[in-house]
Amino acid sequence: MFDRIVAHLREPVRIDPALDERVMAEIAALRAPAPALLRRFLPLAGLAAAAAVLAVVFVARPRAPTIRELQFVLVAPQAATVSLVGDFNDWDAARTPMRPLRSDGPVWSAVVPLAPGRYHYAFLVNGSRWLADPAAPTASDDGFGTPSSVVTVSGT
Amino acid sequence: MKLAALFVALTLATRVAAQEPRLERLDSAARAPVAALIDSARVTGLPAEPLIQRALEGTTKGAPAGRVVAAVRRLAADLGRAREALGLSTAPLELEAGAAALRAGASPAVLTQLRRARHQPLMVPLAVLADLVASGVPPDSAAAAVLVLAGSVRDADLVEFRRAVERDIALGASPAGAATGVARDAALGVTDLNSSARTGSARPRRP
Repeated sequence: MFDRIVAHLREPVRIDPALDERVMAEIAALRAPAPALLRRFLPLAGLAAAAAVLAVVFVARPRAPTIRELQFVLVAPQAATVSLVGDFNDWDAARTPMRPLRSDGPVWSAVVPLAPGRYHYAFLVNGSRWLADPAAPTASDDGFGTPSSVVTVSGT
Repeated sequence: MKLAALFVALTLATRVAAQEPRLERLDSAARAPVAALIDSARVTGLPAEPLIQRALEGTTKGAPAGRVVAAVRRLAADLGRAREALGLSTAPLELEAGAAALRAGASPAVLTQLRRARHQPLMVPLAVLADLVASGVPPDSAAAAVLVLAGSVRDADLVEFRRAVERDIALGASPAGAATGVARDAALGVTDLNSSARTGSARPRRP
């Protein structure tokens, strides 16, 4: 019994001599040139794929927010200095000084670029007096004892 | 136990203050509690920037530390309520405008209705709602007017609607009547809100 199994295992495996030819024939069929119609549209398919990649790259790329310039104006005839102070400059009174539209004129102005959002702000006159913007909606009272205004910059 | 909690709070506050140098401008009595509120907001996914700005506003205006902390705490609570009403995926700008609308007197249900009615960002409708109430329009009238328009008009038209209401109020109309009238006319097509919204120029515009 044992000898028979060993003899069987030692027997060389029979391989169909035509197997190689069949495999090579199948590979050749796979590499065969595409039919004429397919060949004609193959470059277009490449272009379409490139267009799809570009579309994904450009559409998915985050867009920079629209920045709008807003002009803030205050009529303050007695003022020596006026600052525009708000959420857009970290409430730093030194960052956005307003300038008179005409020298020694009563109309003070500042232009500020703003990204979309809702900003609280106020005018600081002569470094001590806080004023809300009479031309803008009033901000809700935060208990700070001085008024503020709000401006909303739309993204569209 | 209390000492340990205090130590943890102070450690967190110090860490936030170190991450946010602008808080150095705050009064020393306000710095730690404000930093803790900001840290807590960040942990829960609420925007921190509005809280920082509110603290800076109070500080620059010379408000006592207690008022600064109270204002920041109130805003953090409003931002949380706005998120509950508008949904977890609400953008920070929408949350901030929603908090303003809630603070002005709008109900959370109105915010939820607006979310359902408008398939565009809600920052402007919510801001217009808050601004109308600040102009004296009763919250219910303001909410009804904004809800009527929010489903169909653009952001610029809503801003123009707010301006039209403010003009009518300045001319002597009652705030509720002005809001209802302009919204009705716009919804019926009697007033073309677009006409003035389209005349924008490249010059800087006024708030």
